Amino acid sequence: MTEPKHSSADDQSLVRAAQQGDTAAFEELVARHRDKVFARAYSMMRNEEQAIDLSQEAWIKGWQRLRQFQGDASFGTWMTRIVINLCLDELRRQKRQRAESIEELDAESGGVERQMPVVLVNPTSGLERAELRERINRALSQLSYEHRTVLVLHEFEEMEYKQIAKTMGCSIGTVMSRLFYARRRLAALLADLKKQD
Amino acid sequence: MIDWETQLKLQAYLDGELSEADRAEIAGKVAQGGEEAALLAELRQTRALLGGFEEGIKMPESREFFWSKIEREIQRPARSEPARLGLPWLARLRWLLAPAVAAALLLVAGLVATRHDGSARSAAGAEIETAQADTKAFTYRDYETGMTLVWLSYPADSEFASQEEIGIIQ
Repeated sequence: MTEPKHSSADDQSLVRAAQQGDTAAFEELVARHRDKVFARAYSMMRNEEQAIDLSQEAWIKGWQRLRQFQGDASFGTWMTRIVINLCLDELRRQKRQRAESIEELDAESGGVERQMPVVLVNPTSGLERAELRERINRALSQLSYEHRTVLVLHEFEEMEYKQIAKTMGCSIGTVMSRLFYARRRLAALLADLKKQD
Repeated sequence: MIDWETQLKLQAYLDGELSEADRAEIAGKVAQGGEEAALLAELRQTRALLGGFEEGIKMPESREFFWSKIEREIQRPARSEPARLGLPWLARLRWLLAPAVAAALLLVAGLVATRHDGSARSAAGAEIETAQADTKAFTYRDYETGMTLVWLSYPADSEFASQEEIGIIQ
Protein backbone atom coordinates (compact mmCIF):
# COMPACT_ATOMS: atom_id res chain seq x y z
CA MET A 1 0.00 0.00 0.00
CA THR A 2 1.03 3.60 -0.53
CA GLU A 3 2.79 5.35 2.29
CA PRO A 4 0.78 8.20 3.85
CA LYS A 5 3.35 10.76 2.66
CA HIS A 6 2.25 10.16 -0.92
CA SER A 7 -1.48 10.54 -0.42
CA SER A 8 -1.19 14.28 0.17
CA ALA A 9 1.43 14.96 -2.51
CA ASP A 10 0.46 16.57 -5.81
CA ASP A 11 0.84 14.77 -9.13
CA GLN A 12 4.03 16.62 -10.07
CA SER A 13 5.80 15.53 -6.89
CA LEU A 14 4.59 11.98 -7.35
CA VAL A 15 5.81 11.91 -10.95
CA ARG A 16 9.24 13.19 -9.88
CA ALA A 17 9.46 10.54 -7.17
CA ALA A 18 8.29 7.81 -9.55
CA GLN A 19 10.87 8.93 -12.11
CA GLN A 20 13.47 8.17 -9.44
CA GLY A 21 12.08 4.65 -9.14
CA ASP A 22 9.65 5.17 -6.26
CA THR A 23 6.94 2.57 -6.99
CA ALA A 24 4.83 3.72 -4.03
CA ALA A 25 4.54 7.15 -5.64
CA PHE A 26 3.56 5.50 -8.89
CA GLU A 27 0.95 3.41 -7.09
CA GLU A 28 -0.62 6.62 -5.81
CA LEU A 29 -0.72 7.99 -9.37
CA VAL A 30 -2.38 4.78 -10.54
CA ALA A 31 -4.95 5.03 -7.77
CA ARG A 32 -5.77 8.63 -8.68
CA HIS A 33 -6.12 8.21 -12.42
CA ARG A 34 -7.05 4.58 -12.97
CA ASP A 35 -10.79 5.28 -13.31
CA LYS A 36 -10.22 7.92 -15.98
CA VAL A 37 -7.82 5.72 -17.93
CA PHE A 38 -10.16 2.76 -17.69
CA ALA A 39 -13.18 4.87 -18.70
CA ARG A 40 -11.39 6.09 -21.81
CA ALA A 41 -10.44 2.54 -22.75
CA TYR A 42 -13.97 1.32 -22.10
CA SER A 43 -15.52 4.12 -24.18
CA MET A 44 -13.39 3.09 -27.11
CA MET A 45 -13.44 -0.70 -26.76
CA ARG A 46 -16.98 -1.28 -25.38
CA ASN A 47 -15.63 -4.36 -23.65
CA GLU A 48 -14.82 -4.40 -19.94
CA GLU A 49 -12.21 -7.14 -20.04
CA GLN A 50 -10.32 -5.57 -22.92
CA ALA A 51 -10.55 -2.17 -21.27
CA ILE A 52 -9.00 -3.56 -18.06
CA ASP A 53 -6.19 -5.27 -19.98
CA LEU A 54 -5.45 -2.21 -22.09
CA SER A 55 -5.50 0.17 -19.15
CA GLN A 56 -3.13 -2.17 -17.28
CA GLU A 57 -0.84 -2.19 -20.33
CA ALA A 58 -1.04 1.61 -20.46
CA TRP A 59 0.12 1.89 -16.85
CA ILE A 60 3.04 -0.44 -17.49
CA LYS A 61 4.00 1.62 -20.55
CA GLY A 62 3.57 4.77 -18.49
CA TRP A 63 6.06 3.48 -15.94
CA GLN A 64 8.53 2.47 -18.63
CA ARG A 65 8.29 5.87 -20.36
CA LEU A 66 8.03 7.98 -17.25
CA ARG A 67 11.35 9.69 -17.93
CA GLN A 68 9.91 11.00 -21.21
CA PHE A 69 7.11 12.81 -19.37
CA GLN A 70 8.04 16.49 -19.47
CA GLY A 71 4.93 17.91 -17.82
CA ASP A 72 3.71 19.76 -20.94
CA ALA A 73 0.28 18.28 -20.32
CA SER A 74 -1.11 17.00 -17.03
CA PHE A 75 -0.11 13.50 -15.98
CA GLY A 76 -3.72 12.33 -16.37
CA THR A 77 -3.85 13.61 -19.95
CA TRP A 78 -0.48 11.99 -20.72
CA MET A 79 -1.79 8.66 -19.45
CA THR A 80 -5.07 8.86 -21.36
CA ARG A 81 -3.13 9.54 -24.58
CA ILE A 82 -1.15 6.36 -23.96
CA VAL A 83 -4.28 4.29 -23.47
CA ILE A 84 -5.96 5.88 -26.52
CA ASN A 85 -3.03 4.85 -28.71
CA LEU A 86 -3.11 1.33 -27.33
CA CYS A 87 -6.86 1.11 -27.97
CA LEU A 88 -6.45 2.39 -31.53
CA ASP A 89 -3.77 -0.23 -32.20
CA GLU A 90 -6.01 -2.95 -30.80
CA LEU A 91 -9.07 -1.77 -32.73
CA ARG A 92 -7.10 -1.67 -35.97
CA ARG A 93 -5.79 -5.14 -35.26
CA GLN A 94 -9.31 -6.41 -34.61
CA LYS A 95 -10.58 -4.74 -37.76
CA ARG A 96 -7.95 -6.45 -39.84
CA GLN A 97 -9.01 -9.80 -38.39
CA ARG A 98 -12.66 -9.52 -39.25
CA ALA A 99 -14.60 -8.21 -42.17
CA GLU A 100 -16.52 -5.08 -41.36
CA SER A 101 -20.30 -5.44 -41.24
CA ILE A 102 -22.31 -4.13 -44.17
CA GLU A 103 -23.77 -1.49 -41.92
CA GLU A 104 -20.36 -0.20 -40.96
CA LEU A 105 -19.25 -0.12 -44.56
CA ASP A 106 -22.34 1.84 -45.53
CA ALA A 107 -21.73 4.26 -42.72
CA GLU A 108 -18.11 4.67 -43.67
CA SER A 109 -18.95 5.38 -47.28
CA GLY A 110 -20.81 8.50 -46.12
CA GLY A 111 -23.92 10.15 -47.44
CA VAL A 112 -26.44 8.53 -45.09
CA GLU A 113 -26.12 11.23 -42.46
CA ARG A 114 -26.92 13.94 -44.97
CA GLN A 115 -30.51 12.77 -45.34
CA MET A 116 -31.29 11.80 -41.75
CA PRO A 117 -34.35 13.56 -40.34
CA VAL A 118 -33.58 15.93 -37.50
CA VAL A 119 -34.49 14.61 -34.04
CA LEU A 120 -36.61 17.43 -32.70
CA VAL A 121 -37.44 16.22 -29.21
CA ASN A 122 -35.03 15.16 -26.48
CA PRO A 123 -35.10 11.35 -26.70
CA THR A 124 -33.83 10.99 -23.19
CA SER A 125 -36.14 13.34 -21.31
CA GLY A 126 -37.64 11.87 -18.20
CA LEU A 127 -35.07 9.11 -17.92
CA GLU A 128 -33.21 8.24 -14.73
CA ARG A 129 -29.48 8.82 -14.84
CA ALA A 130 -28.70 5.09 -14.83
CA GLU A 131 -31.17 4.43 -17.64
CA LEU A 132 -29.80 7.32 -19.67
CA ARG A 133 -26.28 5.97 -19.23
CA GLU A 134 -27.40 2.52 -20.34
CA ARG A 135 -29.06 3.88 -23.47
CA ILE A 136 -26.06 5.94 -24.44
CA ASN A 137 -23.92 2.87 -23.81
CA ARG A 138 -26.02 0.78 -26.16
CA ALA A 139 -26.09 3.50 -28.80
CA LEU A 140 -22.32 3.98 -28.65
CA SER A 141 -21.83 0.24 -29.07
CA GLN A 142 -23.71 0.36 -32.35
CA LEU A 143 -21.32 2.84 -33.93
CA SER A 144 -18.35 1.61 -35.93
CA TYR A 145 -15.03 2.03 -34.16
CA GLU A 146 -13.99 4.88 -36.45
CA HIS A 147 -17.11 6.91 -35.66
CA ARG A 148 -17.06 6.09 -31.96
CA THR A 149 -13.37 6.94 -31.67
CA VAL A 150 -13.83 10.36 -33.27
CA LEU A 151 -16.70 11.03 -30.91
CA VAL A 152 -14.73 9.90 -27.85
CA LEU A 153 -11.66 11.93 -28.80
CA HIS A 154 -13.74 15.03 -29.41
CA GLU A 155 -16.29 14.85 -26.61
CA PHE A 156 -14.33 13.16 -23.83
CA GLU A 157 -10.69 13.88 -24.67
CA GLU A 158 -11.64 17.37 -25.91
CA MET A 159 -9.33 17.18 -28.88
CA GLU A 160 -9.61 19.64 -31.76
CA TYR A 161 -10.29 18.37 -35.29
CA LYS A 162 -6.65 18.57 -36.34
CA GLN A 163 -5.47 16.67 -33.24
CA ILE A 164 -7.98 13.90 -33.95
CA ALA A 165 -6.86 13.75 -37.57
CA LYS A 166 -3.25 13.34 -36.46
CA THR A 167 -4.11 10.70 -33.87
CA MET A 168 -6.24 8.67 -36.27
CA GLY A 169 -4.08 9.21 -39.32
CA CYS A 170 -6.79 10.74 -41.51
CA SER A 171 -7.74 14.14 -42.95
CA ILE A 172 -9.58 16.90 -41.06
CA GLY A 173 -12.43 16.52 -43.59
CA THR A 174 -12.77 12.85 -42.66
CA VAL A 175 -12.81 13.75 -38.98
CA MET A 176 -15.59 16.30 -39.54
CA SER A 177 -17.60 13.86 -41.62
CA ARG A 178 -17.19 11.00 -39.12
CA LEU A 179 -18.03 13.22 -36.17
CA PHE A 180 -21.12 14.52 -37.90
CA TYR A 181 -22.28 11.01 -38.75
CA ALA A 182 -21.55 9.75 -35.23
CA ARG A 183 -23.58 12.51 -33.61
CA ARG A 184 -26.51 12.18 -35.96
CA ARG A 185 -26.55 8.41 -35.73
CA LEU A 186 -26.37 8.59 -31.95
CA ALA A 187 -29.35 10.96 -31.88
CA ALA A 188 -31.32 8.63 -34.18
CA LEU A 189 -30.44 5.55 -32.11
CA LEU A 190 -31.50 7.22 -28.89
CA ALA A 191 -34.77 8.29 -30.53
CA ASP A 192 -35.37 4.68 -31.67
CA LEU A 193 -34.79 3.42 -28.15
CA LYS A 194 -37.36 5.87 -26.86
CA LYS A 195 -39.92 4.72 -29.46
CA GLN A 196 -39.41 1.12 -28.33
CA ASP A 197 -40.60 1.98 -24.80
CA MET B 1 -32.53 20.45 -47.54
CA ILE B 2 -29.31 21.88 -46.14
CA ASP B 3 -26.28 21.36 -48.36
CA TRP B 4 -23.45 19.19 -47.07
CA GLU B 5 -20.98 22.04 -46.63
CA THR B 6 -23.43 23.99 -44.49
CA GLN B 7 -24.17 20.90 -42.38
CA LEU B 8 -20.49 20.53 -41.57
CA LYS B 9 -20.18 24.25 -40.94
CA LEU B 10 -23.04 24.06 -38.46
CA GLN B 11 -21.15 21.38 -36.58
CA ALA B 12 -17.90 23.34 -36.70
CA TYR B 13 -19.86 26.36 -35.44
CA LEU B 14 -20.98 24.32 -32.45
CA ASP B 15 -17.42 23.07 -31.82
CA GLY B 16 -15.86 26.54 -32.12
CA GLU B 17 -13.80 25.52 -35.14
CA LEU B 18 -15.03 28.08 -37.66
CA SER B 19 -13.25 31.15 -38.97
CA GLU B 20 -14.64 34.55 -38.02
CA ALA B 21 -16.26 35.06 -41.44
CA ASP B 22 -17.88 31.61 -41.52
CA ARG B 23 -19.09 32.01 -37.97
CA ALA B 24 -20.94 35.20 -38.87
CA GLU B 25 -22.48 33.53 -41.93
CA ILE B 26 -23.70 30.49 -39.96
CA ALA B 27 -24.94 32.60 -37.07
CA GLY B 28 -27.06 34.53 -39.59
CA LYS B 29 -28.58 31.34 -41.00
CA VAL B 30 -29.31 29.94 -37.53
CA ALA B 31 -30.96 33.21 -36.49
CA GLN B 32 -33.47 32.80 -39.30
CA GLY B 33 -34.69 29.56 -37.71
CA GLY B 34 -35.71 26.75 -40.05
CA GLU B 35 -33.67 23.64 -40.83
CA GLU B 36 -30.32 25.09 -39.84
CA ALA B 37 -31.55 26.01 -36.37
CA ALA B 38 -33.18 22.58 -35.91
CA LEU B 39 -30.05 20.71 -36.94
CA LEU B 40 -27.87 22.81 -34.68
CA ALA B 41 -30.26 22.13 -31.79
CA GLU B 42 -30.02 18.38 -32.39
CA LEU B 43 -26.22 18.46 -32.52
CA ARG B 44 -26.11 20.54 -29.37
CA GLN B 45 -28.49 18.17 -27.60
CA THR B 46 -26.41 15.09 -28.50
CA ARG B 47 -23.29 16.81 -27.32
CA ALA B 48 -24.93 17.71 -24.02
CA LEU B 49 -26.07 14.11 -23.49
CA LEU B 50 -22.49 12.89 -23.66
CA GLY B 51 -21.29 15.45 -21.13
CA GLY B 52 -20.13 13.72 -17.97
CA PHE B 53 -20.87 10.29 -19.43
CA GLU B 54 -17.41 8.89 -18.63
CA GLU B 55 -17.50 10.12 -15.05
CA GLY B 56 -19.80 7.29 -14.11
CA ILE B 57 -17.48 4.61 -15.47
CA LYS B 58 -15.38 3.06 -12.71
CA MET B 59 -12.63 0.46 -12.85
CA PRO B 60 -14.32 -2.75 -11.67
CA GLU B 61 -11.18 -4.18 -10.04
CA SER B 62 -10.10 -3.13 -6.56
CA ARG B 63 -7.20 -0.76 -6.15
CA GLU B 64 -5.05 -3.44 -4.51
CA PHE B 65 -5.71 -6.12 -7.10
CA PHE B 66 -5.21 -3.83 -10.07
CA TRP B 67 -1.99 -2.44 -8.63
CA SER B 68 -0.67 -5.91 -7.82
CA LYS B 69 -0.83 -6.85 -11.51
CA ILE B 70 0.96 -3.67 -12.56
CA GLU B 71 3.55 -3.99 -9.81
CA ARG B 72 4.34 -7.54 -10.86
CA GLU B 73 5.02 -6.39 -14.41
CA ILE B 74 7.05 -3.29 -13.63
CA GLN B 75 9.24 -5.16 -11.20
CA ARG B 76 9.91 -8.06 -13.54
CA PRO B 77 12.96 -6.51 -15.27
CA ALA B 78 14.26 -5.23 -11.92
CA ARG B 79 14.38 -8.78 -10.56
CA SER B 80 16.24 -10.21 -13.55
CA GLU B 81 18.72 -7.33 -13.70
CA PRO B 82 20.96 -8.36 -10.76
CA ALA B 83 21.36 -11.87 -12.20
CA ARG B 84 22.61 -10.41 -15.43
CA LEU B 85 24.87 -7.93 -13.72
CA GLY B 86 26.28 -10.65 -11.46
CA LEU B 87 28.66 -11.96 -14.12
CA PRO B 88 29.62 -9.02 -16.34
CA TRP B 89 32.86 -10.68 -17.49
CA LEU B 90 30.87 -13.60 -18.91
CA ALA B 91 28.65 -11.27 -20.87
CA ARG B 92 31.69 -9.52 -22.33
CA LEU B 93 33.33 -12.84 -23.16
CA ARG B 94 30.21 -13.99 -25.00
CA TRP B 95 30.29 -10.81 -27.06
CA LEU B 96 33.77 -11.72 -28.20
CA LEU B 97 33.06 -15.41 -28.67
CA ALA B 98 30.11 -15.10 -31.02
CA PRO B 99 31.92 -13.36 -33.90
CA ALA B 100 35.03 -15.49 -33.30
CA VAL B 101 33.05 -18.71 -33.71
CA ALA B 102 31.34 -17.37 -36.80
CA ALA B 103 34.68 -16.34 -38.34
CA ALA B 104 36.19 -19.76 -37.61
CA LEU B 105 33.31 -21.54 -39.29
CA LEU B 106 33.60 -19.31 -42.32
CA LEU B 107 37.32 -20.07 -42.56
CA VAL B 108 36.73 -23.83 -42.38
CA ALA B 109 34.00 -23.64 -44.97
CA GLY B 110 36.25 -21.58 -47.22
CA LEU B 111 39.10 -24.07 -46.97
CA VAL B 112 36.80 -26.96 -47.79
CA ALA B 113 35.46 -25.07 -50.77
CA THR B 114 38.89 -24.28 -52.24
CA ARG B 115 40.03 -27.92 -51.95
CA HIS B 116 36.96 -29.27 -53.64
CA ASP B 117 37.91 -31.03 -56.92
CA GLY B 118 34.49 -30.78 -58.44
CA SER B 119 33.84 -34.53 -58.62
CA ALA B 120 30.75 -34.23 -56.42
CA ARG B 121 29.08 -31.54 -58.45
CA SER B 122 25.43 -31.93 -59.05
CA ALA B 123 23.89 -31.79 -62.47
CA ALA B 124 22.90 -28.19 -61.89
CA GLY B 125 26.46 -27.25 -61.04
CA ALA B 126 25.60 -26.40 -57.44
CA GLU B 127 25.19 -28.19 -54.13
CA ILE B 128 24.18 -27.64 -50.51
CA GLU B 129 25.83 -29.46 -47.62
CA THR B 130 25.65 -29.40 -43.85
CA ALA B 131 28.81 -29.85 -41.81
CA GLN B 132 28.39 -32.70 -39.32
CA ALA B 133 30.28 -30.80 -36.68
CA ASP B 134 27.69 -28.07 -36.75
CA THR B 135 24.22 -28.90 -38.00
CA LYS B 136 23.24 -25.24 -37.99
CA ALA B 137 25.86 -24.29 -40.60
CA PHE B 138 24.87 -24.78 -44.23
CA THR B 139 27.16 -24.44 -47.22
CA TYR B 140 25.89 -23.64 -50.72
CA ARG B 141 28.32 -23.92 -53.63
CA ASP B 142 27.83 -22.78 -57.19
CA TYR B 143 30.71 -24.12 -59.25
CA GLU B 144 29.86 -22.19 -62.38
CA THR B 145 30.25 -18.84 -60.70
CA GLY B 146 32.84 -20.11 -58.23
CA MET B 147 30.77 -18.91 -55.28
CA THR B 148 30.48 -20.54 -51.87
CA LEU B 149 27.84 -19.34 -49.48
CA VAL B 150 28.02 -20.35 -45.80
CA TRP B 151 24.81 -19.86 -43.80
CA LEU B 152 25.16 -19.89 -40.04
CA SER B 153 21.74 -20.24 -38.47
CA TYR B 154 22.11 -19.70 -34.74
CA PRO B 155 19.25 -19.10 -32.34
CA ALA B 156 18.59 -15.56 -31.26
CA ASP B 157 18.79 -16.40 -27.60
CA SER B 158 20.54 -13.25 -26.56
CA GLU B 159 20.99 -9.65 -27.48
CA PHE B 160 24.08 -10.39 -29.55
CA ALA B 161 22.73 -13.12 -31.81
CA SER B 162 19.46 -11.71 -32.99
CA GLN B 163 19.79 -12.44 -36.70
CA GLU B 164 21.03 -15.20 -38.90
CA GLU B 165 24.50 -14.59 -40.17
CA ILE B 166 25.53 -15.16 -43.76
CA GLY B 167 29.06 -15.34 -45.08
CA ILE B 168 30.03 -15.32 -48.76
CA ILE B 169 33.31 -16.66 -50.08
CA GLN B 170 34.25 -16.32 -53.71
